[in-house]
Amino acid sequence: MDRQQEFVLRTIEERDVRFVRLWFTDVVGSLKSVALAPAEVEGAFEEGLGFDGSAIEGLARVFESDMLAQPDPSTFQILPWRGKTEQTSRMFCDILTPDGEPSAADSRNVLKRTLAKAADMGFTCYTHPEIEFYLLKSDKPGPDGIPIPVDQAGYFDHVPGGVAQDFRRTAVTMLEDVGISVEFSHHEGGPGQNEIDLRYADALQTADNIMTFRTVIREVAIQQGTYATFMPKPFSNHPGSGMHTHFSLFEGDTNAFYEPGAEFQLSKTARQFMAGILHHAPEFTAVTNQFVNSYKRLWGGGEAPSYLSWGHNNRSALMRVPLYKPGKGQAARLEYRGIDSAANPYLAFAVLLGAGLKGIEEGYELPPAAVEDIGALSSGERRALGHDPLPSSLHDAIRQMEESELLPEILGEQVFEHFLRNKRAEWQDYRLEVTPFEINRYLGVL
Amino acid sequence: MSSLTRILISNGFSDLEKSERFLGFRELSGLDQTWLLQAMKLANDPDLAVQSLVRLLSAVPEAREKLAVLGSAPGEQLPNEALFRLLGASEALAEFLIRHPEHLDVLDVTIAAEPLATPARALRDSLLESVGADPSSDTPVAALKGTEARIALRTRYRRHLAQLAIRDLCAASPEDVMPLVGAELADLAAAALEAALSVARAEIAEQFPPEEVAAIKLAVIGMGKCGARELNYISDVDVIYVIDTAGQEADTEVVGERFEVDEAKAVTIGNALASAISQTIYSPEREPGLWEVDANLRPEGKDGPLVRTLDSFLRYYHRWAHDWEFQALLKARCIAGDAELGERFERGVAPLIWACSERDGFVASVQAMRRRVTSNIRQEEAGRQLKLGKGGLRDVEFSVQLLQLVHAKNDESIRVKSTTGAIAALMKAGFIGRSDAGALDADYRYLRVLEHRIQLVHMRRTHVMPTAPEQLRALASAVAGPLSIKRPSAEALLKDWGKVKREVTALHERIFYRPILATAAHLSAADLALTTDTARARLAALGYRDTVGAQRHIEALTAGVSRRAALQRQLLPVLLGWLADGVDPDAGLLAFRRVSEALGTSHWYLGMLRDHQAAAERLCHVLSSSRLVTDLLVVSPEATAWFGSDKELVPLTFDAQWAEIQSKMSRHPQSGDAIRLIRLIRQREILRIAIADCSGLLTQDQVSAALSDADRAAILGALLVAEAEVYADEPPLARVLVVAMGRQGGREIGYGSDADVLFVHRQIESSEGVFEDGAPASDAATQQARAIVAKLTAMLTQPVRPAIVAERVLSVDADLRPEGKNGPLVRSLDAYREYYARWSSAWEAQALLRARPLAGSDDLAADFVTMANPVRYPTFISESDLREIKRLKARMESERLPRGADPARHVKLGRGGLSDVEWLVQLWQLQHAHDHVGLQTQSTMQALHVARDLGLVEEDDAELLEAAWRLAGKVRNANVIWTGKSSDLLPSARGDLEAVARWCGYEPGNAAAFEEDYLGLTRRARAVFERLFYG
Repeated sequence: MDRQQEFVLRTIEERDVRFVRLWFTDVVGSLKSVALAPAEVEGAFEEGLGFDGSAIEGLARVFESDMLAQPDPSTFQILPWRGKTEQTSRMFCDILTPDGEPSAADSRNVLKRTLAKAADMGFTCYTHPEIEFYLLKSDKPGPDGIPIPVDQAGYFDHVPGGVAQDFRRTAVTMLEDVGISVEFSHHEGGPGQNEIDLRYADALQTADNIMTFRTVIREVAIQQGTYATFMPKPFSNHPGSGMHTHFSLFEGDTNAFYEPGAEFQLSKTARQFMAGILHHAPEFTAVTNQFVNSYKRLWGGGEAPSYLSWGHNNRSALMRVPLYKPGKGQAARLEYRGIDSAANPYLAFAVLLGAGLKGIEEGYELPPAAVEDIGALSSGERRALGHDPLPSSLHDAIRQMEESELLPEILGEQVFEHFLRNKRAEWQDYRLEVTPFEINRYLGVL
Repeated sequence: MSSLTRILISNGFSDLEKSERFLGFRELSGLDQTWLLQAMKLANDPDLAVQSLVRLLSAVPEAREKLAVLGSAPGEQLPNEALFRLLGASEALAEFLIRHPEHLDVLDVTIAAEPLATPARALRDSLLESVGADPSSDTPVAALKGTEARIALRTRYRRHLAQLAIRDLCAASPEDVMPLVGAELADLAAAALEAALSVARAEIAEQFPPEEVAAIKLAVIGMGKCGARELNYISDVDVIYVIDTAGQEADTEVVGERFEVDEAKAVTIGNALASAISQTIYSPEREPGLWEVDANLRPEGKDGPLVRTLDSFLRYYHRWAHDWEFQALLKARCIAGDAELGERFERGVAPLIWACSERDGFVASVQAMRRRVTSNIRQEEAGRQLKLGKGGLRDVEFSVQLLQLVHAKNDESIRVKSTTGAIAALMKAGFIGRSDAGALDADYRYLRVLEHRIQLVHMRRTHVMPTAPEQLRALASAVAGPLSIKRPSAEALLKDWGKVKREVTALHERIFYRPILATAAHLSAADLALTTDTARARLAALGYRDTVGAQRHIEALTAGVSRRAALQRQLLPVLLGWLADGVDPDAGLLAFRRVSEALGTSHWYLGMLRDHQAAAERLCHVLSSSRLVTDLLVVSPEATAWFGSDKELVPLTFDAQWAEIQSKMSRHPQSGDAIRLIRLIRQREILRIAIADCSGLLTQDQVSAALSDADRAAILGALLVAEAEVYADEPPLARVLVVAMGRQGGREIGYGSDADVLFVHRQIESSEGVFEDGAPASDAATQQARAIVAKLTAMLTQPVRPAIVAERVLSVDADLRPEGKNGPLVRSLDAYREYYARWSSAWEAQALLRARPLAGSDDLAADFVTMANPVRYPTFISESDLREIKRLKARMESERLPRGADPARHVKLGRGGLSDVEWLVQLWQLQHAHDHVGLQTQSTMQALHVARDLGLVEEDDAELLEAAWRLAGKVRNANVIWTGKSSDLLPSARGDLEAVARWCGYEPGNAAAFEEDYLGLTRRARAVFERLFYG
């Protein structure tokens, strides 16, 4: 029993915690939870908790398999929304095989493996996500089939007495209560759309935080009689919900992306990292944009970047080098704007980091920066400049992922297979559906 | 020959011409030559000594005063022992005296046979004073900086080094004084670091405010040999740096004056101090650097921060550290800087080190340590290495550390850092027997003295024995010590060293394993008996899971007074280690016991174990890795003899087997007896093949071919016995031919494969002597053929008496015949011809591709092939036929896979498995074999290669297909070898996967990597298959 485990057991005792939830994530990023009585926690630390591990294979699971969930004591947290008496807490779990080896099918382990690889190359990875979501009146759409937002405000609007403002205040407080530091929160472009930026932390912790964040936001919304959704594109004519994420690599204490005097103060490492991501982005888009609906956001115009490109402070590019503030070398970072808010953060971070590290390993060359608004270029111009498009649909993305050799290397053969199996099934279901679009367009005229 | 030459030779000179020249130099004029040559006898290497003496006198004439000292008799001038011994042993230190004649006074010493150590405190004070720092201060700051400080410090260091070397060289027994020398070298290094730290404090005062620098506590933790106080004359000094901000508990009253430094600032200052220390010690200067200060053992290695706070260290060790890092901490000791902080560090990490035997993966890391010992040696140095290599220093250190790690959890008395100290402690605590401890200690000291003397010459970091005879002779003299009267000789030195190496190797086994036995078997009183728990701890460290059971087996194997028990008491220590290298040591030990008991006292068995090490090692490896072989060995233990001979492990050719079967049949006319013998021969051959396979003597193709031959011999034997039995009752009407199909046809079977066959018959010429080809066979002939086939099948599968234990019955499967299960079991050749001409579907043509006559009359076989060829190698195959085949394959994929099986893990029918590759190759054969004779083969791999050469498939794709096909075949074999049962699934239980991975050539502990590789390879092969097969 190590000190952290002791700390957890002591806290459970002292704070009279009645339930301990063990959290883990399936391949498509759904949070799974098992509740334990406090008396069983010690056993779970030592031996793990047996369960049918196929639960992590997502909806398309095929075979039952025995697995162990082993709680990570460093993620222990009291859940504030469950009230002060009879408190509930949670810990994230690693999934182990019955022999106690890390399970190859666990997405948290996928990220851990990628981070271990980065560590072998001498890097620690930090991420900083900006998470967008919509606040709706309810989880049911209105009579016209369109969801109803809680307000009609826009980008950075201050809405006096607004529901959203109240919501953000409560949500941010609660996030701080569970130990997640919030950097920034504001009203976003769409009606009822909000953005909350988490403070940067190491990539694994950020991924854990995102899973917690989604739960907290949903809980607070329910408490206030509203509904929060991370669906990538709930409205046809309003911007989708992205999760722009800033990445930085550190070597020891120094930011490996920063090189004073270089173009945009970008080190060679940063350029190769970015080149790696751009090179492999079409292969991993199925992971960062994993739903049928994700492609409505990617190709729905607005701020969503859909062409392979990077730029210095260019908001139309897929990757952005944020404006350098003098004396802030440690803050040098790269922003990937493709991920949406419904991605599995463990896998999304793993593929992005993995692609970036590949770029460093292989010494990829970075194409020149884009200076103009890429959305405003003609398709011929884009072709000439080498701004290839990201996959245009989930189907397209699956095909590109299937062809990839890098993705099975990063995800491991098993997660790679499980993930694809889920996504093929989703595409299959979607194809069977006759959509309102078709009814509206064809029924009257054909 | 001049008399001088003779005198030189008798005085131990080697380079006569050069030394004669040097003796004639004017620097030596005026010296009595006889006296001088007598003095030179003190030098280990007189050639070197005379050269160094001339150089010294030429550079420093006043050194002449140091040549002699007064003897006890009036006016007697004795050679200065310190001078001549030093000159003869170390060119580097002679050069130091030439550079710094002011230190010639180190030669004015009284020689002691048993020298005393210089106290560590004295060395620290001396070196601090050399740079003008106040030794009485807790945080001394040097007065000197930069070049000046470096030269002063290094010179003072070398003065002490010379003093130490003189004491070492003049001591009566170098081996006795070795621990003292190692300890003083470590203390001297520590003192140098302390002084360098004081210089660093002075130097960084320019960059940082003094009160901030003063607020930083820094402790230098020595690791490795320096930490253990057994340093070499020259070696990297391994350190890590711990920092802390001072004044946390102090000065609480004077809040206003208390100075606080935040952690980031502290780290910056700590870094500056650490790099200044390294500069002071090692950066290039007029006075050369001392040794490299190596901080790579710190957390995260060279990528980690150079300094950390104590909390940061402990956090890292609690959360992130690898197993080897705890083993490295075994030697950690605060050697310079803030003693109180250093002590807190030692206290903080101590519990982690000793809990490491409870950590997951301890066994694996011990095994990795064992392997590392012998690997990583440069080939050309392999025989000359003192440190690595079999019987080297590393072996001794490993033996000692392993015992400490296994036992120190419960016994604090053996938590000792130095090797010699640990050996003594282990002996005292009863973990090593007295005589073994004595031998190990002596060997270690001997090797260390060799190493010291080699390094001393040029102060170069080397662990390799010299090769030149004169160097070896000088070394022999140096190792023997001043009191030796034996004439030093290179041969004797190498012989002694060889003996020590052998002893060290044997000692490891004796010390670690033998006491395990002693608890079970009552060995001689001289042997150390461990307590039961201690012995179990050792077995567990080796990887035995059921230690109680293991002890029981050991007891059974070694109890009693029989010759076998006596021999096993000798051998078991080694065998236990070999068994532990296998996948399942527990099963291996049990199997060894069963085999051993079955073989009783057979003299060859004991002889083989005793005299044939490779055979015994091979036996242990197989027993702990293969259930199949173990099961077979237990019923036919005499086969154990094969382990001793590669010749016995060459699979018998088909002809040889057939000759044996024929002779058995002639001597045993009873069909029941005959068939039993035939089946025993097959079982014996399978065992032989499996053992040869486990021993790495056969390629995959050879294994398949040999297994095919064994099955073929059995089927042929059974056919003849069946025919004889049927013909005994009625006149022979029909001859039967057995045709191999499927993988047996391609000689590509694995352990436990069925025999896929087709039965063909032909009517025998009638009594009138007229036989018309093409005439329909008579009903009677068909009846008879059917009877023969039924008998043959039954004979191969039905129980015999006495029963054959552990037999893997050969089941004969004729499902690939025309019309499958609904067709007649046997047809006449003509019926086949007719059938194929009229009805045949593309699928049946495909099945015929691998048809190969196996047993029966040669004429019939030839006619069958003539009949089959046009069917299977058609001039033209229609699109619709091709489509039919593709569709059949697709249907098989969805239907034939067992329910609940993961297609990715099914090696036969799963994605990228055997059947994918085979169908693809067969598709090409159907299309192109008519035009390309090379494709007319039953072998999948041969056809694939030809297809590649014909350009039907890209080279890369072909390579991928072959790799996947071979790996799938290997997994299939591995399943049978490991569990004794056939399975077509890649195992998912980690233990089974590990076994299969090792069979496929992976290093231990790589089950997960193997699984990834298998899944990845077959995924890629499947992509190729889909592209090329379905198009």
